[in-house]
Amino acid sequence: MAQKNAVVVYEHDVYVLSQQGEVELRESETSLSPTDIELLVRTDGKLTVAEIAESMRLLAREAAIHAYGKLINRKLVTLHSGEKSDLHGMADLFSGKPPPPTRKAVTAAKAEASAGVSSLQKQGYYVRIARRNAARPPTAPGKALFAVVVEDEPHLAKFLKQYLSFEGFDACIAGNRNEIVAALRRVSPPDLVLLDVTLPDADGFDILLKIRQHPVLKSVPVIMLTAKATREAVLQGLAGGADGYITKPFEVDALIKAVGTVLGLPKSPSAGKSKL
Amino acid sequence: MTAEAFKRQLEALAADYRRDLPEKLAQIDSIWRDLMHGAAQPDRITELQRELHSLAGSAGTFGVAGVSEAAAKAESFLDPYCARRKIPGLAEQAKFTTLLDALRRTAS
Repeated sequence: MAQKNAVVVYEHDVYVLSQQGEVELRESETSLSPTDIELLVRTDGKLTVAEIAESMRLLAREAAIHAYGKLINRKLVTLHSGEKSDLHGMADLFSGKPPPPTRKAVTAAKAEASAGVSSLQKQGYYVRIARRNAARPPTAPGKALFAVVVEDEPHLAKFLKQYLSFEGFDACIAGNRNEIVAALRRVSPPDLVLLDVTLPDADGFDILLKIRQHPVLKSVPVIMLTAKATREAVLQGLAGGADGYITKPFEVDALIKAVGTVLGLPKSPSAGKSKL
Repeated sequence: MTAEAFKRQLEALAADYRRDLPEKLAQIDSIWRDLMHGAAQPDRITELQRELHSLAGSAGTFGVAGVSEAAAKAESFLDPYCARRKIPGLAEQAKFTTLLDALRRTAS
């Protein structure tokens, strides 16, 4: 968030071109800078400030926020629908440090962590079945499911997306903060989040804590997908509220079983047929 | 999509991954060389560890388990240095170079 010339611009705001902005764009002798023009061209009432900055590559987010401040002052753009686009406060997923898990959650998770590590060593995944039963009814057959795959390794992300598509999910890949926020806003709440821990600009365990605190996302099934397989890491995942834990590199069958169990899905069509 | 078509799709993706492996290794080598020769800031050691972590976490899924294991060893070796954002001393550099050599051999 930035405050420029008394205008508050949030990176997750969505703007539309004003009438004045349209006129300015059509002017042959416009006084706008090439960057401002580029911003106006990309302002479509759908993309956030951060997404537009990302798509321009050369423009840092802070610079885009500052430039939007100028455009707002000149009445060339207006806030979409007159309100913040981030209806569910998704941007808050990354603001500030998440509160640590409660003492009760840590105590409960400690007892489970050893069993979790043992299961991880044997099967490559661990599923906390009780959480599914408590928070989410089994998925109805035929229901369209939406999954967010938080993974920054492009081949692995594509692999997970293909697998989930085959399983009937509409899957969306997110490899960094902006993409995670955009993905979580696409269908909110999603039916499943596969969450990597080591990301270029975020920590998966922090994101998990934020998800569990979020009014809309708190019951979303989350399966951690990580190369971290120590008792401490599993404890951190379980205390943070993960429903499942899969260690990388993973076997496809382990992933299928974990997703199926967490969501209460019938036996997968790809079970046993997708070994690489 | 049939299960067979799905399997073929995954196999194609695994082949892509293996084809790109030399590039990933070259990137790791390049960061390490820069760190050893002082051409990179010491805090790039965390970037090096992240590259190794990514390899350790993905290679096994795409059928090159040996690469995952070798990358995981190199990744763990860097733990104390990443915590302090410090480049290993000469003796430790030699040990790490040996680990990278092993990683390259496994991948070839």
